[in-house]
Amino acid sequence: METFLQVLIDGMLSGMVYALVAAGLCLIWGVMDVINFAHGEYLMIAMYVSYWLGFLANVDPVVSIVASGAFIFILGALTYKLIIHYTIGKPPLAALLATFGLAMLLKNLCLNRFSPNFLILSDTWLGDKTFQLGNLIFPAPQLAAAILSLVVVGLVYAVISSTRFGWAVQATAMDRDAAELMGINTERVYILIFGIGGACVGIAGGIMPSYLSVHPEVGSLFGLIAFICVAMGGFGSIPGAFLAGILVGVVESVAGFYIAPVFKYIAVFGLYLAVVFLRPKGIFGW
Amino acid sequence: MTRGFSSLSRWIVFFAVICLLIGFGPGSAPAAEKVIKIGTLFPLTGPVASAGQRCQAAVQTAVEIINNRHPGIKVPLAKQAGIMNGYKIVLVHADSQGKPDVGKAEAERLFNQEGVWAIIGSYNSSVSKPASLVAERMKRIFMCGASSSAALTKRNLNFFFRLAPTDETESIEFVDALQWMNKKKNARIKTIGVIYENTEFGKHAAEEAKKAAAHGGFRVVADVPFSPGATNLNSEVQTLKKSNPDAVFGAVLGADYSLWVRTMKQSNWLPKAALNYCSGYQDPVIMKQLGGDAEYFMGATAYSPQFAGLMPAVAQVEKIFKTKTGGVPFDGDSIQEAVAMLVLAQAIDKAGSLDPDKVAKTLHANTWESPLSLGGKVAFQKGGQNKLAKSILTQIQKNEYKRIYPEKMSDSTIVLPMRPWAKR
Repeated sequence: METFLQVLIDGMLSGMVYALVAAGLCLIWGVMDVINFAHGEYLMIAMYVSYWLGFLANVDPVVSIVASGAFIFILGALTYKLIIHYTIGKPPLAALLATFGLAMLLKNLCLNRFSPNFLILSDTWLGDKTFQLGNLIFPAPQLAAAILSLVVVGLVYAVISSTRFGWAVQATAMDRDAAELMGINTERVYILIFGIGGACVGIAGGIMPSYLSVHPEVGSLFGLIAFICVAMGGFGSIPGAFLAGILVGVVESVAGFYIAPVFKYIAVFGLYLAVVFLRPKGIFGW
Repeated sequence: MTRGFSSLSRWIVFFAVICLLIGFGPGSAPAAEKVIKIGTLFPLTGPVASAGQRCQAAVQTAVEIINNRHPGIKVPLAKQAGIMNGYKIVLVHADSQGKPDVGKAEAERLFNQEGVWAIIGSYNSSVSKPASLVAERMKRIFMCGASSSAALTKRNLNFFFRLAPTDETESIEFVDALQWMNKKKNARIKTIGVIYENTEFGKHAAEEAKKAAAHGGFRVVADVPFSPGATNLNSEVQTLKKSNPDAVFGAVLGADYSLWVRTMKQSNWLPKAALNYCSGYQDPVIMKQLGGDAEYFMGATAYSPQFAGLMPAVAQVEKIFKTKTGGVPFDGDSIQEAVAMLVLAQAIDKAGSLDPDKVAKTLHANTWESPLSLGGKVAFQKGGQNKLAKSILTQIQKNEYKRIYPEKMSDSTIVLPMRPWAKR
């Protein structure tokens, strides 16, 4: 029983990080119908921001999340202004290919500037610490990331569902032309949504160097898993993406331990296929 | 018109500046006409890129020694400039990304489009396997420095040569070392766990580990493959922890190695002994970055700076190598790639011909001086394995690779069992 609980805890903690990464993607997708293929690369850049702040200025990742969140907010807003803006009204494939190109650009830029070497941030506040509850172990960095995930996703959900800005976002998502007729500056909404979506993944990436090494490929698998969470949760549903993130984490952990470690991603992608087959709109889709 | 031309000029200048800034300038063409093009094929991007880049730098170092006079360096060909009366080696680099399909395609491109005469590579056994088959089909030589899968040299290829010890010999060495620990250090090691990446290298290392363990009387209680580049290794470490083997054999490369070590620390678990194949363990950059967490892990090592007393010729060569790696010294893998280049050049020089068949036969027929190898010499058996390849079991102690086994070559006493995380 104890082992099962430990496996469950590991899975939930991983899953909540997936959820935070997925929340940003979900927001962009839900409002703009744009699949941001550069989402994993946003995560990677946020990790670099956090790493270099730690390495050069001795700023701990716990603090760096502010800078990495802000940095990716700006990167997201710029992505919209400089790229996505020009694909609005064009076939959906245009935005998809544009973000794919951006992903390649960002990855190769980091390869060129930082080399493919993986970088490890030592002596972080949380890096070595664990909390124990009986024999159950909670690694501090993952626990902090999970709490962050809960707070940030909750905050984003609250903003979208109960503020004037959130209503404007929902209106824009439903019908852009009608929203504009109601006086909503939809261009501003799009910029902010891309920024907030980026900030979510920026915050996740900011805390990650506490326990993961940083390299130009680090975001790829996270980006893919985020895509799966959004598709499983239901396009545009933030609570759906959050719960799907946790589900993915738990399935990965349980299958990895009880079937075989090498089976964990097979189980995750198998679950994704099953959900898409049985309910194409996702668990919470409408 | 003038306005249009001016605008065009501005764009040309703009793109030229951008190209210069990001380093896409025209490559420097070799001045000499008598050149032998050699391809290098390493993972220059991806999770094991840092190791791949060092391997490439090692080949470049060897070529610098071969092409120019270096009277102070005591390795073959250093005293002359070029081989075969003035032929210079020119390298053409390719990136395998650590992926077998990419490696195979790049090997084909190197031979067919770049016109290379031979290839040196590819670090990952999974890449060396298909890439060397491309070379064999074209009857071209493939020199393999560091890939350790024993299966590579069991294919009886005619043009494939591998310098490093195999995971088969390393597995036997590990089991010998465990028996020595039991006998001399009263370690009471009875069970073994194996954690390995689910690739050609990892799977084969695990097979050899299990075979050697059974032969040595040890019981394998955990068999843990994992997908390289995973987001976490929680279930892998939990599986090991549950089985609680006395010793763990690891075939874990690059960033996965640091993730594995850190996850074991978070799970507050360690075996009595952790022995690693050519892996992240051998990477001096990872060792430095992991700091105290890297301590007391063990592994097979063909070279580390602490071996300077055993291999005095390395020091001068390493000076050149460090200029290409920002000060990072040779490790057990990269030095094998330098040896691969040096031995190939010696063979071409001795054969006096650029006929790959003749050079391959020369490689097989001779024993080669190799001051950069732990064994001092290189000789190939059928299938291309260097039968004189050696490695020593080392343990990281105070951020240094200390030699611990065989006992007669040791320079330090083994710390056994590994000190628990809480007591470091």
